[in-house]
Amino acid sequence: MGLFGQILVNGILLGGLYGLMALGMGLVWGVLNIVNLAHGALIMLGGYAVYFLYTGAGIDPFAALPLAMAALFVFGYLLQRFVLNLIVRSALLNTLLITFGLDVVLVYLAQLSFSADFRTINPPYAGNNTEIGPVTVPHAQLFAFLVALLLAGLLYAFLSRTKTGRAIRATSQNLTAARLYGVNPRNIYCLTFGIGAALAGAAGGLYGVVSQITPYMGVTLTAKSFVIAILGGLDKPLGVIVGGLVLGIAEAMTALYLDPTFTDIISFGLLVVILVARPAQLVGRA
Amino acid sequence: MIKAAIATVAVVVLLAAVPFIAHETVVQYAINALLLATLAQGWNIVGGYAGYPSFGNSVFYGLGTYGTAIAMAQFHHSFETGLAWAAVFGVACALIFGIPILRLRGPYFAIATLGLSAVMGAIAANVPIAGKNIGLILPLFRGDRMFYELSLALLLFATGIVLWVSKSRFGAGLIAIREDEDAAQVMGINTTAYKVAALALAALVSGLAGGIHAYWITFIDPASAFDGSLNVRMVIMTLFGGPGTVLGPVIGALILSGVSEVLASQVSSVASLFYGFVIVLAVIFMPRGLIDMLAGVRFHGLRYFGNNMRRYRL
Amino acid sequence: MTRTTTLAAFAAAVAASFAAFADSDTVTLGAAVQLTGRLANTGRYYGDGYALAVDKINEKGGITVGGKKMKLALKVLDNQSDVNLGVRQYVQLLTQDKVNFLLGPFSSNDALDDSSVAEKYQVPMVQGGGASTQIYARGYKFIFGTLPPADDYFASTIQMLGKLTPKAKTVALIAADDSFDVSVANGTRKLLKDAGLELVLDKQFRENNADFSSLLSLTKSVNPDVILWAGHEPEALNFIRQAKSLGVSPKDLYSFTVGVPTADFRKALGNDANYACGMTSWLPSENNKDEWFGDAKQFAKAYTDRFKYPPDYHAASGVADVEAFAKAIAAAGSTDPQKVRDELAKVDFESLYGHVKFMPNGQISLPQIVIQIQKGELVEIYTKDFIHQPEYPLPAWNKR
Repeated sequence: MGLFGQILVNGILLGGLYGLMALGMGLVWGVLNIVNLAHGALIMLGGYAVYFLYTGAGIDPFAALPLAMAALFVFGYLLQRFVLNLIVRSALLNTLLITFGLDVVLVYLAQLSFSADFRTINPPYAGNNTEIGPVTVPHAQLFAFLVALLLAGLLYAFLSRTKTGRAIRATSQNLTAARLYGVNPRNIYCLTFGIGAALAGAAGGLYGVVSQITPYMGVTLTAKSFVIAILGGLDKPLGVIVGGLVLGIAEAMTALYLDPTFTDIISFGLLVVILVARPAQLVGRA
Repeated sequence: MIKAAIATVAVVVLLAAVPFIAHETVVQYAINALLLATLAQGWNIVGGYAGYPSFGNSVFYGLGTYGTAIAMAQFHHSFETGLAWAAVFGVACALIFGIPILRLRGPYFAIATLGLSAVMGAIAANVPIAGKNIGLILPLFRGDRMFYELSLALLLFATGIVLWVSKSRFGAGLIAIREDEDAAQVMGINTTAYKVAALALAALVSGLAGGIHAYWITFIDPASAFDGSLNVRMVIMTLFGGPGTVLGPVIGALILSGVSEVLASQVSSVASLFYGFVIVLAVIFMPRGLIDMLAGVRFHGLRYFGNNMRRYRL
Repeated sequence: MTRTTTLAAFAAAVAASFAAFADSDTVTLGAAVQLTGRLANTGRYYGDGYALAVDKINEKGGITVGGKKMKLALKVLDNQSDVNLGVRQYVQLLTQDKVNFLLGPFSSNDALDDSSVAEKYQVPMVQGGGASTQIYARGYKFIFGTLPPADDYFASTIQMLGKLTPKAKTVALIAADDSFDVSVANGTRKLLKDAGLELVLDKQFRENNADFSSLLSLTKSVNPDVILWAGHEPEALNFIRQAKSLGVSPKDLYSFTVGVPTADFRKALGNDANYACGMTSWLPSENNKDEWFGDAKQFAKAYTDRFKYPPDYHAASGVADVEAFAKAIAAAGSTDPQKVRDELAKVDFESLYGHVKFMPNGQISLPQIVIQIQKGELVEIYTKDFIHQPEYPLPAWNKR
């Protein structure tokens, strides 16, 4: 029983981080109709940002998160403003293409600037844990989980309670109508992408604390974010976090009860089954 | 009409002559490009004509690779039998999984195909007869000319299918599905049957491409057979050249692989950087593909670019 | 459109092949190595090792082939960690760049594919990046390798365990599912059986896996004396960090097939790297004398001075590959592939990498040296006897 509890906790903590990773992608996809294949690269850049703030300026990684997020926000804003806005109204697949190209460029530049060495963000409390009965709860993963929930909650509140947030939601529903109501789409688009990038950056920083950072870490993360964003309903923050939790728990349980080599089969298999069996969930999002 | 036919035959003959006149490295690159072009054509049927953007066509390629590899490495059959297995594996997958998955629309269909590809790759990594994750070793055969001609023949076959699709009632049905599926259904088109057939055709050519690849490369494992990057590449190549056209995917595939290959061999260290830039610029300046651009520039001159940017930017 | 492309490519290829006509006073070695991409972290050791070796040999006068002095030249391409691209690049190296002989990439999976090219074209390849026995199980005649068999990686470690007190009894074996690690696991199971150690956990994980929490929790529940782990560096890093955060530790010892000998791995883990054991087929010791570099210690210094990071066994293995060619070509007195191939089968010399001699199947046979990270330093522990004492048994995480 203790083992089950431990695995459940592992899955939940991992799932929270997964959810955070996917938040930004879902937001950008749902609102801007941009499938951002460079999402993993943004996560990676956030990771490096926190890494350098920590090792260079000695700022605690969790304190450095807001700074990294701000930097990524600006980067995302500019990217949308000068590159993505140019093709935003062409076919959905074009957004895929252009972000693919951007991903290749960003990863290359990262490798050039940072080399292929692994970086880990290793604050002194990184390996600590607390024992609650038979379950060991690692501190770093717990903090990451809480940050993920916090950010998801903030995003949700922002989208539903603030004026700008509502403008963003309006734009996603109907661009023309939103325009008629005085929403400036260019600003909204850049803002949204910036927020998506900032969230990716936060995920990257946390990732560096619980795992490691390399220029190529983004590839698998983009694929996972893809899956989780869809499961969660794209721009519904709470749904995406739940999607992340589901994936995290499924992976952990599979490794325990089936075999660690089956995790991909289960997570993607689960995805396919859910998609096929519950089309009703997807009405209104096609 | 006659002029087009003669030109086509001339091009095909010239292409077939390549391994006899060109350098061996060109043949290597060409085989790779031809296989990619076939994949792009397969995608074109489902994504370009029917409007169902698959992100997992690599699953058919991977199953084709494994079909041939298992037939040849585990059961010691001939290459021909191996190719037959490749086709069967691919098409079977399309028929079995196509029906449930094709009920999904747009990005959900894309994700489901991505999931399918990942699942198959993971299954292959766990099944003993497929060699699990350490893969399979095929008999060594040095015959690049044969592989080239075979790949060229496959591409011609795939292009022929697309040509037929573009002129047939079946193709018109696919286009109707792409433009407005509900209306098409109301008009009496059996959309499920049409979509599954389209997917099966894509699976057929993709599976055969995989089979050729297996024997050519002699060692396969799940990562290289179900290579996820192929999915993005075949989509990019088709979009670059022009989806829903007959030659678009071929041109897109040949140009983009050419660019990538030349970069990798000449400026090896900055290859991917340039490649990324090329793609970004292509999407900005040719959002509807190369063929469209060529036609558009012929008609409107350079204003084509301005028009596009105005149309597609925010 | 297609016609023009083909003609242009043809013209370019012809021009390139004329341009690539090698100077008849040089022998060119070619390789496609992971300089960028996922495996670049280790791939660079090969690119840099080859370059340093070629330059050093030329500095000392090159090689004498049939009475004539010849220089070595090197052509390295970046395969961007893409196996399929690497294969095409090897064909390019042979047919367009017209290199004389081939050096290998990093990683068994790449070596498996790329060696097929060498065999197809009947040109010798000496590779130092793939240890899987699969590479040598195909009966190929033109492939040689300087990494010792994967099956034996844990042999020295297991032998050592039998000589330490408290006596270890239970072992957890955790291995990735790629070619190299499967070979390691298969060999290790046999070794453990012969040594009378009990395997209480035997699990595989998907390569590139980033999360070990379930495996670690499972390991904790069986409480093994020893953990033997096989995989690649990024995974080893994650495993150790996550083991710390979940408070999982074996009672006596844990050993990893990768990471421990490499500087940036130890740096990334900091103090958490302590007590970890590993193995290496090479250490920068003055006892390894070398015809060109003096000894391994001088080599390490030359490498670090030039490339600004210290070498590990990957780099030394790469250098051994170049030296093996130098020896074989000189012995053959010609650059004829078949003659050089026959001489490679017979080479037998001491180098900074150790004793270079290939078994009949083409793979080198070298013992693994057990090493341990003690207080941030890499310490040699054991080959057939103890060189230094290990810190054994290792303390639990909360007692460090």
